[in-house]
Amino acid sequence: MADLSNLTGLVSEPSGESDSSASSASNRSLRLAEKQKRKGEADPFGVAVKFLSQVEAGTVVRGNDELERNIVVVETVAVSKGLSPEVITVLLDLALSLNAGTANCTRVLKFLIPATVVPQEAIVKGVSWLCVGKMPINAQVLFVRWVLTVFDLIDCKDNLRSIYGFIFSFVTEENLCPFICHLLYLLTMREQVHPYRVRKLLDIQAKMGRQPFLTQLLVLYKVFRPDLVMLSHPARVRTGFKNHNSTWKVALSAVQRKNKGAVLVDQSLSLDVKEKPSSRKRKLHHLAIPPLSSAFDSNSSKKAFRLQELRSFKELLENIHNIELPAQMGSLLGSALALHYLDCVQDESAFLRLNFWLGHSLQEEFLLCPVDGSSDNTSEACRFLSTILFSQQFLQEGFSSTESFLYKFLSVWDGSLLRPQILDLLSDIPLMPSFYMHKLLFEPLKQLYFTSTVFFKCSVIECLNSMLVKWLTWHSVSASEGGLDISLNSNSTMTMTLSGFMDSVMELVRFVGLLASEGLRLENCHILLLNQTLAFYETVCDMFLKYSLPLVIMPPAGVFYPALFATDSISVDRLGYIMYRYRKNLTLAKKQEQQREQTFHISRNTYKEFNRNLQAMVNSMWNSWWGIPGSDLEIDKDLIALSKVSEPWCRFDLIHHPALFSYAIEFHQRCWPERKDVDLGSIKTGKYWNWYMEFLFNQGFDGLNNFIQTNTGHGISCQDDRQPSSQT
Amino acid sequence: MEGRGSAVGTPASRPVTRRSKSYGRSCVEAPSYFWQTPGHLTVLKIPTSRDAAKSQIITNKVDPEHIALLVKNEWKLSYVTPLHCFRHTQLKSYSNHLSAFIVAEKQQGVAVEVGLEAGFKVTFTAVLGLAETDEDAETVFIQIQSKPVFAAAADAPKVVWRGWLTCVNGDPEYLRSLPPDFVSLPLFCTSGPESLTTLVKSWFERAFDCNFGSLALNSTTLNWLAALWTGCHPTCNIRYLKLAWSLPTQPPLDVSYTVNPQDAWELWNSIHTEESTDDRIDIKEVQSFMNGLETHFFRHFKIYLSAGTLVKVSTALGSAQLDGKIKIGNSDYITTLLTLLTECALLKMLT
Repeated sequence: MADLSNLTGLVSEPSGESDSSASSASNRSLRLAEKQKRKGEADPFGVAVKFLSQVEAGTVVRGNDELERNIVVVETVAVSKGLSPEVITVLLDLALSLNAGTANCTRVLKFLIPATVVPQEAIVKGVSWLCVGKMPINAQVLFVRWVLTVFDLIDCKDNLRSIYGFIFSFVTEENLCPFICHLLYLLTMREQVHPYRVRKLLDIQAKMGRQPFLTQLLVLYKVFRPDLVMLSHPARVRTGFKNHNSTWKVALSAVQRKNKGAVLVDQSLSLDVKEKPSSRKRKLHHLAIPPLSSAFDSNSSKKAFRLQELRSFKELLENIHNIELPAQMGSLLGSALALHYLDCVQDESAFLRLNFWLGHSLQEEFLLCPVDGSSDNTSEACRFLSTILFSQQFLQEGFSSTESFLYKFLSVWDGSLLRPQILDLLSDIPLMPSFYMHKLLFEPLKQLYFTSTVFFKCSVIECLNSMLVKWLTWHSVSASEGGLDISLNSNSTMTMTLSGFMDSVMELVRFVGLLASEGLRLENCHILLLNQTLAFYETVCDMFLKYSLPLVIMPPAGVFYPALFATDSISVDRLGYIMYRYRKNLTLAKKQEQQREQTFHISRNTYKEFNRNLQAMVNSMWNSWWGIPGSDLEIDKDLIALSKVSEPWCRFDLIHHPALFSYAIEFHQRCWPERKDVDLGSIKTGKYWNWYMEFLFNQGFDGLNNFIQTNTGHGISCQDDRQPSSQT
Repeated sequence: MEGRGSAVGTPASRPVTRRSKSYGRSCVEAPSYFWQTPGHLTVLKIPTSRDAAKSQIITNKVDPEHIALLVKNEWKLSYVTPLHCFRHTQLKSYSNHLSAFIVAEKQQGVAVEVGLEAGFKVTFTAVLGLAETDEDAETVFIQIQSKPVFAAAADAPKVVWRGWLTCVNGDPEYLRSLPPDFVSLPLFCTSGPESLTTLVKSWFERAFDCNFGSLALNSTTLNWLAALWTGCHPTCNIRYLKLAWSLPTQPPLDVSYTVNPQDAWELWNSIHTEESTDDRIDIKEVQSFMNGLETHFFRHFKIYLSAGTLVKVSTALGSAQLDGKIKIGNSDYITTLLTLLTECALLKMLT
């Protein structure tokens, strides 16, 4: 790349082939000497630039071959490699001064392709040439279009902003106006918005009508100074600027591709304004997220950053200390970037505003004017709730207005309207004292649960599972920060102690236990419901290990036995996993308890319950015998005999269990393919047993595998039933 | 979430640590007392007794010209959530801004300079003195005049829309719980074309981040008014007590029931004995008053009015309709009416 630093060292000398051809008659030695000389010289480009920098006003252009030749040299380099900042300064000055004539002015502008950046001073000088007013209008337009095209490549814009007034004065030029508006749009800061400028633009608007470029600039003015200008967008009018870079686009992108690593110009300079015009025709507009707009009496002296201006996360980080809240807090939910900001907002009033708006919207839509069921309405409501859900999930916390809305809504809900959204919102309900849970949550949910389909039951269990996970996660975070007491409210009217938290969790688990066991009974142990229930207990069994909550709650018999005797293998496997995790949790609890007596205490009953379940499971699956001595689950032998099932005691072992039976058959077929009559009993003998275990666990029954490994020791004799160490 | 643990130990009511992330719960503790904290959902209770209507010469307190604006018109009621950053000192600039807003909305896409009067003139006025307690914010009256482009210079601008925001005897506990940058004027009365009402509402929503909802009255409120107004008869002639019922028959039956004021008062007086010291009226008394009227009607027409809905109550002191329209007939009893309506607005907002 030619640099002008060597330009200064150059002597102004005629160069180039045409020159030598002109002196063709001169003798050979002279030519040789000249050739020699040229070799020592720098490239012809530097010479050409040097020449062009010295073109003076009043130079004859027509028939000036020398000028033409030099322009061609520079043009070739420009379109292939681009021009350095210094050369751009020189050429822009040459073109706009009209020293090389009007035709050359547009010609030079057209190949003014920057290689790296464009010096700001060149543009400032260009604007001053514009002010001289000699340039023909098409050249003026071309110049401003060029500035717009290379705007992102201008090294610095502060001086350009300081001549804002000069640039602004060109808005009155009818031909220039669209481009000047765009340039002003890119340059405008709050300081530049003045009443007289607003008035000027409004005058022009009165003359030219609603031109998109004027509207766009005025919209920006309104962003900065809502107290000066008022504007409402019709839905139809297209906003934004056109691209004016067509002349340079191809060459510029080619040069930029070549000079990779240099600054990249954003080819799509047109800014589309994010404000989405609402096309809804509904009169009641409770469900619209308001657009971002500046607070109307924003302090004029304050130099704050507005959320509408925010384009990237980086900008957010740079201005995070200085961001002005929008006029309507609800508008924050409309943009992901704004949600990031919401996460850092400390202002109490801001949250109150948000909650007022949200509470009002929800109340008006769902409680005061009930949805008439028309599909349009529902889809809108669905979108609105999804937005809230998205925001809540993003912030990892529910809004209090949603919460209080849900308590009211649950009592009137039919259980089907917007079910997925409502249940998802429900799962975001924060922890509350167990005292309120019954009245506000459990009672209405219970009514809905027992009167609805099995799928609704599944959804409810799933929802409560996710609620429990959120509570536990929240606890594990706050516990790791050292505070055991949890303040629900900094007013400290409602403080929740650890035991209070445990009470709430216990209450929730007990409630789900009740729903699940009754539900399973009502729905004949529906497989989906059973699986949702087991998913819930997968969360419950790990509360101590995973979430460091010293609480172990066993599933009720109404859940345990349906899972143990389930006909699908997945449920049985899940139960195996759950029992395995319970054992891990209890073992750890026991160990900690022995080490430091003061920590906590898990009641003997829990261990007893666990051991009883464990025994039942190991006995029926492994030991092929029934009945736990001392338990209430013994069945009268005569009664079983009446069923005429042969060998009833081994009906639920790993071979005959209805969930695993098909695997046993398959195994049998593989071992003894030629055998006609199936004798599953033969699996139990010798090495076949170990093979069968291996076969079974290769089917993906990791839960059962873990369970059997920890509780019996895999592959060892059937009688080796090691009870957990935590047994009391 | 970090804030939670340490917030307990912070003696000041305002947490200094990072806001615990329960939006609105720990950061807006005070209002949550009413609105957010579970278990406190029903703190704002529907009152079962209230003071008897007392006549007061309101013009001693309030500019009679202002009062004149409020009476005689029929007003449509709405409720408003608290206004954020509303200042009674800025009314002039609100006037400019709202008029620019209306013009801009009327001609979509054309920008309008704020402060330039074109087409509409908006005036915000503070009606001082209507507030009863220290917590009540002063009433704000808004008037929109239209100035047609081709009107002669002599033509007086025509008033096309009126509205006012008020709070009279608002629940002090609720009002106190709001942070200082909120102003609660929960009752919004409008009179004028619906299109302008919508524009004014949406301007308020944008400027003060508040929300409007329509305020329909319930029949309990109408019962209260019937009793309260009848009770005024000895001091101020109510001239008539008109009640309108709508009965769910096929086709619907509208019953208009006008009672002689003296008869109505005698019935009321037999229920609400004046010996009671604090002169409070209980909801039970109101109920039996209405029952008395209904029984009387049944004796004559064999129609159970209680099967229908009371849709309108009117006396010379004013009228109120179920769909949220009111008229103020006599300014001396305006406080009683506005107290009742403010309460309705707050209850509706916080249901």
